[in-house]
Amino acid sequence: MKEPTQRISIRALTLWRLYGIIQAGIVALLVMGTGVLTYLFDWPMWPILSISIVLALIIILNIGIIPSVRWKRWRYDVRDQEIELQYGLFIITRTLIPMVRVQHVDTEQGPLLRKYRLATISISTAATTHKVPALDEREAEELRHSISSLARVAEDDV
Amino acid sequence: MMFEPQRLHPISALINFIKGLKDAILPLAAVLFLNSNRGDGWLGLLPFLISGLMLVIILAGGIIKWLRFTYWLEEGELRMEHGLVVKKKRYIPIDRIQSLDFSEGIFHRPFQLVKVTVETAGSSNAMEAEAELTAIRKEEAKMLEEHINELKKSSQEVKEEEGETSRQLVYKMGMKDILVMALTSGGAGVVISGVLVFLSQGMEFLPVDAIYDEVIDWLQFSFLFIAGVVLLVLIVAYGISVLLTILRYSQFSVFLEGGDIIMTRGLLEKKQVTIPLNRIQGIRVDENLIREPLGYASVTIISAGGSQSNDSDHSLRVLPLIKRKNIEEVLHSILEDYQLNLPVQRPPQRSLLRYIARFVWLPVIAATVLSILFYPFGMLALISVPVFMWLGYLSFKHAGWNIENNQLTLIRRFLVKQTYIMKKFRVQALYSDQSLFQRRAKLATIGATLKSGIGGERAQVWYLEEKDTHHLLKWYSYEQ
Repeated sequence: MKEPTQRISIRALTLWRLYGIIQAGIVALLVMGTGVLTYLFDWPMWPILSISIVLALIIILNIGIIPSVRWKRWRYDVRDQEIELQYGLFIITRTLIPMVRVQHVDTEQGPLLRKYRLATISISTAATTHKVPALDEREAEELRHSISSLARVAEDDV
Repeated sequence: MMFEPQRLHPISALINFIKGLKDAILPLAAVLFLNSNRGDGWLGLLPFLISGLMLVIILAGGIIKWLRFTYWLEEGELRMEHGLVVKKKRYIPIDRIQSLDFSEGIFHRPFQLVKVTVETAGSSNAMEAEAELTAIRKEEAKMLEEHINELKKSSQEVKEEEGETSRQLVYKMGMKDILVMALTSGGAGVVISGVLVFLSQGMEFLPVDAIYDEVIDWLQFSFLFIAGVVLLVLIVAYGISVLLTILRYSQFSVFLEGGDIIMTRGLLEKKQVTIPLNRIQGIRVDENLIREPLGYASVTIISAGGSQSNDSDHSLRVLPLIKRKNIEEVLHSILEDYQLNLPVQRPPQRSLLRYIARFVWLPVIAATVLSILFYPFGMLALISVPVFMWLGYLSFKHAGWNIENNQLTLIRRFLVKQTYIMKKFRVQALYSDQSLFQRRAKLATIGATLKSGIGGERAQVWYLEEKDTHHLLKWYSYEQ
């Protein structure tokens, strides 16, 4: 079976990096706070060292590596009879959801997503929920329409 | 008469009372224990007064609950109202009612009563998924069932002619099977943990400090005695659990009636569970390490909807214990289009190491840590490593898959060997997982999700040949 072809919006990359930067910012504040405390009260060095290492890891992984790998891996396809998703960092998961099993489709959009004109679409079956993150707003809207019109209730549906 | 508000049988008040008592037993005990040694004159009676008052409140609560509860049928709905201060109403559309389950406790039987549990097709709140009529007369329950069936039928324009076929017995569990099941069940563990919980709760009410020194003295030379007591407790707990299992499962029978599977069981408390055939999502055959060598397995129906109570997995065990070789024949008489014992494809030999690694990594780390921390004796933990290697090997040996027309079989083993049999049109989603290392080795894991209760259940087989997983995905794909 050939792999799915559609990619999610390239702006996802910027958004995910932004998330990473926010995380890093929070941890950086912690580092500074700990630094001040260490200086004032003669704390041992290990707390500030370990938090700094965490900060470095967040910068390397959550800003540098993970967003781009994640974006590169994310693929999906919406066909007449089924939806196929493929994603994952180290473990790559490929999921097949038949249209007849789809119960409803939602799009959601937080403030940051809205700023970047992105939306997350979630597809629910009777037992599972699958999300495609950070699609272009308009694309997500179209997708929601096409999925909900394609998803007809089958005879043996639960 | 079903259309007028009805009250439950008065015995409900007693059942409510006993239920309330069960919930209040710890606080009651606390009141009595805590104050038992500080009593002179009037104050000494206080705990008894308090617990007496509590009893009265519980009793009154039970009676009021009974007085205020009414139910009736109206406009195609089963309606219930209850509550003293806040009036609560629950209207269940009859179309939504999946089945009525009957059970008879010891209080029901002398008066020919039953408890009726209304199963609906799942709700957002698992705790409220079911409505319950604590005790009504058997004839009333029968009538209610008939009314509901009739109303259902008239609204669904008569589904086929199957309606009026009588009950047909398809399976009855033999006494020998019940005995084997009781002896090999994990129920003993539950009883033991119950006893432990009770002891640990009870400890708090004892004047621990006062007797501590005495106990320490006593401990030193009666270690054997303690060990004996523990052993005795374990044996008694085991005995109780065996007895309970026998009582619960005696006369276990499976019937087919119309489009439903009906299971009845129990000696003191009779239970009846109904599973509509068209709700069945798949079946699972379980073989655990104790029962498998004896040639036994159990079969569970995976069904959509219903309440997600703790008991539900048990209640859907359509064949609680059966000789492996008899399953196919019995199953065929219940669900004819599910096929067991098909030849399966195995994971390739090069997966073996991965299976073993999967089982062994945690014990290896744990054993290493233990060996270092408790140097000479900690090394004993290393014994567990070969055991887990063996389990990994078993897991590898038993894993497998099969596709036969529109039926998918996935076999996996962690401790229990689980054989999932499902139809293509019942699988909610199929997925494959592959790590980068596995991609290089051309291996992948396959999984299928079924609807079960109000959630989902996953069947997963690790480290199959990559092209096999592609084959499975292609089989599942609706595109040609």
